[in-house]
Parts: sequence; C-alpha cells; structure tokens
Amino acid sequence: MNRIFYDHLIQSEEIVAELDGDELEIEEKQELLAIMDETFHQEILKLILDHLPVEQHETFLTRFYQEPYSEKLLDFLKGFASDIEEKIQQQAQEIKKELLAEIRRSRKAK
Amino acid sequence: MARKDFKPQFDSSILRSRLKLKQLQSEQKLARQYPRAAEFLKSHNLLGAGRIREHATKLLTSGALAGSLLLAMPQIGILSRPPENLSVQHPLLTTAQILQIKLAEILPPKVGPLTAEQETRISHLLFEFFGIKAVSQLGSTRLNNVYGLIGAEQHLPRFSGDTLAQHDEYRKAGIAPGLGSWGYFAPSKAQMTRDDYLKEKYYVAVQTLYLPDWKIRLKFLVDWYKHRKVVVINPQNGKAIVAVVGDAGPARWTGKHFGGSPEVMAYLGLNVGWQKGPVILYFVDDPDGKVPLGPLEYNLEKEPPKLAQVE
Repeated sequence: MNRIFYDHLIQSEEIVAELDGDELEIEEKQELLAIMDETFHQEILKLILDHLPVEQHETFLTRFYQEPYSEKLLDFLKGFASDIEEKIQQQAQEIKKELLAEIRRSRKAK
Repeated sequence: MARKDFKPQFDSSILRSRLKLKQLQSEQKLARQYPRAAEFLKSHNLLGAGRIREHATKLLTSGALAGSLLLAMPQIGILSRPPENLSVQHPLLTTAQILQIKLAEILPPKVGPLTAEQETRISHLLFEFFGIKAVSQLGSTRLNNVYGLIGAEQHLPRFSGDTLAQHDEYRKAGIAPGLGSWGYFAPSKAQMTRDDYLKEKYYVAVQTLYLPDWKIRLKFLVDWYKHRKVVVINPQNGKAIVAVVGDAGPARWTGKHFGGSPEVMAYLGLNVGWQKGPVILYFVDDPDGKVPLGPLEYNLEKEPPKLAQVE
C-alpha cells in the first residue's frame, strides 16, 4: 500500500536508480527526490482538476486532504473520467522523462 | 557535509536549482489555472516539497493503519523536507531565473495586495540583484496596486506630427490616436532628446485616476507622476525593466492594473497571446537619475550577485 492514492501509477524507480549512480549524500538525495516528488504531485493534481468539473474541485480536495491514501479517491475520479488512471500514468511518464533529462543534463554540465 | 572520497559525477546544487525551478513552475501553473485549489492546498499546508506525504504520514500513523503501512515505502516517499530557502550557488541559472525563484517564495499564488513584509522583501531583492532602490511607496505616495495585471498599450505620439512609421520597433502595436496623459514627450521632432525617445519607448500606464487622494492632491500628484521612474518585473520569468509613467490607465473595467509600451511588454515576454500578465511595479528611488531606462540586466552597485549572496 502506498501513501498517496496515485502512487502506484507513478513508476519512479528509474529516477531513484539514476541518482543511485552518483555519489550523493543521503540527505542530498532525499532533498532532490522530495523536490521531484512535489513536482509530480503538482502536475498530477493539476491534471486531476483538469478532468473534474469545477464544482467537484472542493469535494475532491477536501476528500484528498482527509484521506490522501484512500483508493476510493480513484473511484470518485473515475466517475468523471473513466480513463483517469491512464491519464495519470501518461502524465507521470512525461514528468519522469523531463526530470530524468534534467538529471542527465546536470551531469553533463560538470 | 562530508563528501565521499571520490568526485561526484555532478554538482548536486546545479541539479537542485534546476529541479527547484521546475517544481516552482509546476506550482505556478497550478496556481494560475486553479487559484482557489492552490489556496486550499496552501491553507491546508499541502503545498511545498514533502508536505503532502508528511500530512499523509501523520494521518496514517495517528490512525489504526499505522504500523505495517510504514513499511510500505513508496518509490520516492519518506523524504525529508528541503530547507525553505533555495541556497544554491552555481553559474547555470540566469539572474532572471534566480529572481523568478526568489519571487515565487514571496508572492501569493495570484495577483493582489501584498503585505508590508512581502513588499519589503521584494525591495531587498531588487537591491541585491540590481543595486537599485525600488519601493512600493515613495514618500507619501503609492499606487493602489503593486502586484497586478499589465496589458499591452500602443506607442504614444512623442511630438506633434509623430507617426507610427517613425517608431523603430513593434509597429504592429499601432500608435494611440491621442496624447498620453502628460502630453508630448518633446516640444518637436527636432528638439527630441535621447531621453525623450527612451521615455516613450519604455513607458507604463498607471491608474492614477483611482488613487484615493487624486482629487485632493491633484496638482502635486500630476507633477509627481509625470515620467516617474518605475521598475516592472514579470515574476513568471524574472525579467525586469525600468520605465517611466507616461500615461494614465487602464480603465478599471478592463480588469488590468497597468499598461505597458510595446517595448516593455516585449521585454517582459508579455506581447504574446492575450498580451497581459502579472507584474510587480515599484517606484525607483533615483533622485540623481543614475538608473537608466530599459532592461535591467546589470547591477548598478556591483557585479551580478550569486545566489548565495542574495539569500
């Protein structure tokens, strides 16, 4: 079980592996991962809001605040966008590509 | 922090800056499109690296679900929150990008009034970055808005007989059929100085008409605002430009708070799409006229500061 209801849709092992290849202190690595994690959240929350009627935004956010881990949130979202899981996966994939590119570009810059 | 014996493949501070910039851009995108949602997230402490997970962890550990779930680490969960301030030093981000990051830490998610503390922090940033003294209130005078929406204006006639064809750039923007609120910039074409030329090139319109003391101090304020030097910053890209007040407006019903000449809007990257966007507009305290008009890409006092110096 994961902490956030859409975590299982984000395949982020590649990012962790990309950083594992470098000699970073654990604190540095955690900090970088936390920043990237936040980017995922913001982008995915925006995607979710894009696919929800405006009048449902508050309901969703309130439920998300109360139970961010609840799988029922996905069921709620599917009521408005049946393919929301696929959309989240696609979005996560895009973000992952961009973040990996940033990591690789930074390495080349040295 | 102790480093391992061999050299890392990259400087993590460079990567951190890039990732932080990307994260702030995502945050801004969310806030721009869904300001109410962003406010909700912010007010519930769910915006900011690690906060959603922190919140989720608290809920889980405080309930019956605690225990086994803690062992189920998400791929990139359980991460410490990074420091509030971005304290990185590297040469790869431009001054504008660094300013963008800094402003994002200060500004509310959407345009509106700023607190005195926010206004002061922005003044400090502008001094640190550009070596200029810029303030939201100069003496007893301040605008109704310092963080508002700017819209595109046309060129203004600089002297009697001025035409669009005589303006050297951005002619597509057109030329206003009437004069700016402070009349011509020069008595005639022959008498137009470089200073007059630059004032029209880099002008803004501000809503003097709606100032609470406009009618009470009309004579003083008309003189005070005429070609008053201001700095305009686009917080979405960190670009800043020095201009003068050259016209009054726009009307309140437009929903905009400032107007910008074609050159000002182009430099700020706002001459596309709807030709409007959020800006910060401060007075430049420059009694000796040392701050030149135009793009701010220098530091008046020193070399461009590194990020560590502006923390």
